[in-house]
Amino acid sequence: MAARSTTLKRKRGYFEGAFQAMGSPCEMLCATDDQSVAQQVLDVVAGEAWRIEDKFSRYLPGNIVDRINQSDGEPLDVDEETANLLDFADSLHRLSDGRFDITSGVLRQAWVFDGSDNVPHEAQVRSILAAIGWHKVRWERPTITLEPGMQIDFGGVGKEYAVDKAADLGTRRADVPLLINFGGDIVATAPPEGSQGWQVGIEALDPSVRKAERVIRLSNGALATSGDARRYLLKDGVRYGHILDPTSGWPIAAAPRSITVAADTCTQAGMLATLAMLAGAGAEAFLSAQAVQFWIQR
Amino acid sequence: MSRDNNKSIAVSLATASCALLGTTPSSPVSAQEQHTWDFDTALLYYGENDDRVEDISLNVLARRNFLDDRILTLGLTVDSLTGATPIGAIPFDGPQTFTTPSGLQTRTRPANEIPLDDTFLDTRYAISASWQQPFGRMNSISAGLTASGEYDYFHLGGNFEISHDFNKRNSTVSLAFAFARDEIDPVGGAPVPLSRMLDVGDLSNRLGDDNKDVIDIVAGFTQVINRNWLVQVNYSFSDSSGYLNDPYKIVGLVDPVSGDPVPRTPTPGVDGPSHEYLFESRPDGRTKHSLYAQTKVYLGGQVLDASYRFMTDDWDIDSHTVDLHYRWPLGSDSYLEPHLRYYTQTHADFYRPSLDASLPLPAYASADYRLGEFDALTVGLKYGWRTGPGGEWSARLEFYKADGSVPGNLLIGNQGGREIYPDLDAVIAQISYRFGL
Repeated sequence: MAARSTTLKRKRGYFEGAFQAMGSPCEMLCATDDQSVAQQVLDVVAGEAWRIEDKFSRYLPGNIVDRINQSDGEPLDVDEETANLLDFADSLHRLSDGRFDITSGVLRQAWVFDGSDNVPHEAQVRSILAAIGWHKVRWERPTITLEPGMQIDFGGVGKEYAVDKAADLGTRRADVPLLINFGGDIVATAPPEGSQGWQVGIEALDPSVRKAERVIRLSNGALATSGDARRYLLKDGVRYGHILDPTSGWPIAAAPRSITVAADTCTQAGMLATLAMLAGAGAEAFLSAQAVQFWIQR
Repeated sequence: MSRDNNKSIAVSLATASCALLGTTPSSPVSAQEQHTWDFDTALLYYGENDDRVEDISLNVLARRNFLDDRILTLGLTVDSLTGATPIGAIPFDGPQTFTTPSGLQTRTRPANEIPLDDTFLDTRYAISASWQQPFGRMNSISAGLTASGEYDYFHLGGNFEISHDFNKRNSTVSLAFAFARDEIDPVGGAPVPLSRMLDVGDLSNRLGDDNKDVIDIVAGFTQVINRNWLVQVNYSFSDSSGYLNDPYKIVGLVDPVSGDPVPRTPTPGVDGPSHEYLFESRPDGRTKHSLYAQTKVYLGGQVLDASYRFMTDDWDIDSHTVDLHYRWPLGSDSYLEPHLRYYTQTHADFYRPSLDASLPLPAYASADYRLGEFDALTVGLKYGWRTGPGGEWSARLEFYKADGSVPGNLLIGNQGGREIYPDLDAVIAQISYRFGL
């Protein structure tokens, strides 16, 4: 884990704070002229990101996720916050007809999206599918019972959740306009005084193009992006994107390369982007029906 | 995820998110894609009563948005002007004949009508370019160039502005400076001021081209009172020097008793003016000061934009302008915007509808109605509708009515009962489309 430290720089009209959390570069823009206020808000924001990372990272032995995954079929009582996340995951599983599934992380054993041609054998995928399925989990708040061999993973929602929580805590610390960006999941609490909103650049798909593909003015609310052009497999001329369908164990066909959604909270934006990805060729139709603003790159 | 359930997914998701986060979002999302290019286009028709001036104008403004609030703005305007303008001579109960500006022919205007010069026909092109960017943490600068041309006029100008934000960016002070050099090359040459309108072919009182310089300085202050209320005040100073005459405008010499134009006999065998007319003469300098105040108030989707301007200059013209716009939303995608403007000015100290032929000539005299005393009212209505993010159509229709009066001490002889001041009615119609790419 990278050393936990923050940096704070004075920019034109705001302070820019930066730190590393949840495997991503994180930044906080704070529209104030008061450096001590900006530092206090940054400490709160980074502290919350690290707290959530420690509590829900699947890589940290001993945390609640690890204890659930090591429960070996035994029931386990969880705390309030974990229960809220499990309730949310349960709702998403139903809303997506099973395509959003926090037990699907084990598919990573078969799929490593490193740009190579290492597409797994069908038999390997099939054997892993046996350990997937939220419907097989017994979840009666506050008690969770996983079948032996199953695992859960909050990777699909953790970063968005962390951004919303950090923005809320940061605003409580000082009532100044904030923009928080955890690896592309973004929340703005208010526009900087006298401006039409924060300028947020959405990267071009081609990593060699260094300038932003689009610029979005965000005054209030959230933007979340699903998709990563660098994570794929290529075999026999077929491109396998990294969005996996937990019901089949294979990548979603015709999924867009990148989807950005605007919504009131980052959690909503992120889930809508994920659900749209899972809709594959129907991503545009799905988002149009939700009456939300979105930007899709195919 | 069946199609029918799609919409309810967003709603269910919002409920689930609120339960997860333990809060409801304080304000709804407000995100708008910033276009690389924004375009403002407009087609405008302006038409005056009695077949006076008609103008069809095409305007295109293109804005290139770069990151970090750096903006390049390019503008193009093409005007096509036709029609006639009052030449300056007063009407009386006989016809009047004038030599045209080119000095090559004459035009006769009927009795009891305000004499117009109908050789007015022109196409005007104007281009502009400006660059705006932040400068330091709390300042913004912009610099621009303007140029315009028509067959007898060429304008070249430059401008520079710096603004500074303070008080948590709720206050802004700005200072703008503009310089322009205008070249005037009148048809037939610029006439010698107060020289007589001569017979056809006689260009002995014509000079070549001339020019004027204009310097403008504007100091402004803008204050955000709260999220819904903005106030702006500014002071402007403008100094023009050089050739400030309208080379096509004349003042008639009149009989001190009847007030009628003094007849003139052209050289035998040559066409020429029927009466004695002098080319106007204005001072070669003009200094204006104006104070401007504007306030914008947002009232739950409605916007009130009110402004007032006071202008005074060393030609003795004082003017007051009150301008009101009120934007009235109709649903979420369209709006109505009534517009009301009132303008009033006093006349220039050298404004003379005519000159007493028995008196020595003053140094300066102009019968240009725009330098006279008048009030003007504009009443208009705009309807706008949005067609998507950044796209908006609007249609505007306005009526303009200017009524002038000539003070009694400027009337000569029996002019009192006559309509000397050329009142003006005009219609303005405009279609605009704004879009982004």
